[in-house]
Amino acid sequence: MIPLTLQARSDAPAPFVTRLSCSQAGGVDVSRLQAEANDTLLFAGDQGLIEIVGQPSAALDGDVVLVDPGAESAHRLLRAGSRHNTLMVTERCDQLCIMCSQPPKKTHQDRFAYFERACLLAAHGETIGLSGGEPTLYKERLLAFLEYVIERRPDLSFHVLTNGQHFEEAEIDRLADRRFRNVVWGIPLYAAEPSLHDQIVAKSGAFLRLERSLRHLIMAGARVELRTVVLQPNWTALDALACHVTTYLRFVEQWSIMQLENIGFARGRWSALYVDPSAEFGPLAQAIDRALLFGVRPALFNFPRCSVPQPYRKFAIASISDWKQKFAPDCCSCAERSDCSGFFEWHPQELLEKVVPI
Amino acid sequence: MIVLPLRVRPSGKESLLFANDAGQFFQGDRAFLRRYAFDELTAEDISFLSERGQAFDDIDSLGFASHLHGCARRITSPTTLDYLILVPTLRCNLACSYCQVSRASLESRGYDWSDETLAAVLTLIDRLDAGAVKLEFQGGEPTLRPDLIASVIERCERFADKSFVICTNLSCLDEDVMRIFDRPDVLISTSLDGSEFTHQQNRTATAEKTRTFFANLEFVLDRYGPDKVSALPTLDPLNPPQVETLVEAFASRRLPSIYLRPINYQGFARKRHPDSRAQDDRWREYYESFVQAIIARNWSDPSIVLEETYLSLCLRRIFQPGHDRHVDLRNPNPVGRDYIVIDHDGVVYPTDEARMLARSGVVDLAIGHVASGWDTEQRAVLDCASTNQFDPDCQRCTYQPFCGRDLVDDLARYGRIDVPRRETEFCRRHLHVFDFAFRLIYSDDPATRYSLARWLDLGGDLPDLAVSR
Repeated sequence: MIPLTLQARSDAPAPFVTRLSCSQAGGVDVSRLQAEANDTLLFAGDQGLIEIVGQPSAALDGDVVLVDPGAESAHRLLRAGSRHNTLMVTERCDQLCIMCSQPPKKTHQDRFAYFERACLLAAHGETIGLSGGEPTLYKERLLAFLEYVIERRPDLSFHVLTNGQHFEEAEIDRLADRRFRNVVWGIPLYAAEPSLHDQIVAKSGAFLRLERSLRHLIMAGARVELRTVVLQPNWTALDALACHVTTYLRFVEQWSIMQLENIGFARGRWSALYVDPSAEFGPLAQAIDRALLFGVRPALFNFPRCSVPQPYRKFAIASISDWKQKFAPDCCSCAERSDCSGFFEWHPQELLEKVVPI
Repeated sequence: MIVLPLRVRPSGKESLLFANDAGQFFQGDRAFLRRYAFDELTAEDISFLSERGQAFDDIDSLGFASHLHGCARRITSPTTLDYLILVPTLRCNLACSYCQVSRASLESRGYDWSDETLAAVLTLIDRLDAGAVKLEFQGGEPTLRPDLIASVIERCERFADKSFVICTNLSCLDEDVMRIFDRPDVLISTSLDGSEFTHQQNRTATAEKTRTFFANLEFVLDRYGPDKVSALPTLDPLNPPQVETLVEAFASRRLPSIYLRPINYQGFARKRHPDSRAQDDRWREYYESFVQAIIARNWSDPSIVLEETYLSLCLRRIFQPGHDRHVDLRNPNPVGRDYIVIDHDGVVYPTDEARMLARSGVVDLAIGHVASGWDTEQRAVLDCASTNQFDPDCQRCTYQPFCGRDLVDDLARYGRIDVPRRETEFCRRHLHVFDFAFRLIYSDDPATRYSLARWLDLGGDLPDLAVSR
């Protein structure tokens, strides 16, 4: 796994955001490499000295980090060259999805000020993820953050993962602003049957509230990616969901159908939730075909390509973030490895043995 | 409860096709029509309609917002100029009987781009503000001037996403032409009227030229494969080739897409094929039997999926809004916005057919010149009539959300644009294609459903739509 938090010390009095650089090129908020010896890197910038242990300088060159002298850590907010940089807005959430990969916590620390600095230092044209917890619990801060950054960096795009429980009619005009053309809202919907969706997200009334939000997002001309995790409870209801999506939610840019991640709540409930697509793909095939027929673009996330029948393989994209991706030993000989999601680092080992190299 | 206004059209003996303004459709029977018309819908009717996005609790609901969005998506909204049809020369080394542009002979002078016209085209390319561009070289025979094609292609280097289509009779594959064809971003489009006999009769005239064409077609197919080469037949509707012969002319060459195109009532065809002004039922029967033949062939030989290109387009437009880059079928069909035609003399036309009309001396539909621009009064006048949105026939037509507008076609056939829509060839042709398409969509024949699923690019079977009211 690629480490996201590094052991680091600094003489700065308070946490700060900086970009690590191994070259002597100029720029604001840059910390330049001064020395590299014995597993230790020394960077110096306007905000202080940073000493980082355990990484070669080449691996960190260009990273935007949040240095926290008190915690003796440097958090890699935006790793150079990665397509999977995600900023965690909060760990609080008002849903409790049965398969949640990152179970929520009660506490919250507002880090928007650091995120603003980091995003202004981002590489040109980068797409940055915002996730949680539920980012729209801090909706006012979130929207102001997006407006502030995109105003200054119109080259950046954002992908915000949200449960869509908090958009209001009064926000339609605000969300219709051109700056939000750079924002895609990734919103989960698990079933067309309200009670089934509510049961999966463990919040009654969630489906109806989500419908209201989606209505406001349509009226705002917002960009939405719909997300559905495939689970035993919604497996046979997928075609009904596809009917719903192709009737009411054709405005979405993409319908991402996702394989379960064996971490968080899903780990303890794996046998009750996991569906093996290589054993039975029919309901998924039907849902994909219905989406295609009506012009909704499908995508399969976290589906190793060998688990997907050939006609649908092109929809299985390399979705798993680089830092938590792994492959089985047999994957070495596979012709499609570079296009494949691979597996989550924490995927059950015995399932890795089922790969069939293409 | 809000029930959307529905358009109705008979579909088969007992059924009716219902569609709303966003193009969402379903089949119903006469009893349902009666209940709908007399405002006697049952609770079951309402729930059926709700599930299909045809009825909502109130106007602030998700369903209604989605419906509005769906209506908007049915309206073409071209953004920026990114498609140029270029005519570097009007000269041609063939003299097809139905030549739509009344080509100039090989030796004639004054039918190629001048240096000034080329310079203006290159300047235009420099000013294009699009991420992806498509340039199509028409003629005449554009390969008579590979130097002009090469200059244009060279000037497009700055575009990350670009494609070039060379529309050619494949009579000459010299070194300069091959250098252009070898580029991976170049596509070759040619004409193939069926058997060698038919092709020679219509186009190549002599046995030698016929041999050259078929040899060159084999050569480019061998060299590049069928993905880079497309071929279109032009058919005499009074004397169409045998269906099987035509199908095999394409299938044997692994060319999957066949655009069954009757002679266009343009150019030489106006005099030599006066009957091409309107197609009759015989043509429509031929069209259907052709499609049925490829459906049967696809079912028995899955190694290749043949399609009739225009039917596939119509099917996609029925199910999926947003297929607006086929400029012959969209609505509105704005003039001189996202694509233009630049003729051999630098004159800008809104469509290829418009330049043909001017060439035939019927009506001058030029909208400007490449050097001086085309944001002109002429364009504005044409643009006023480039929509079917407020046409009294179209407004009542079930197929309006899928259909389009081609005012140049009206002018070509009738010299005016105010002929009642249902009396036009454009309307008759599209009513037929869409009627036919819906017969296929609601067919339970496995071979038909197999072909439909392939034409619509599905991975498996066509999803079930059969539930009707």
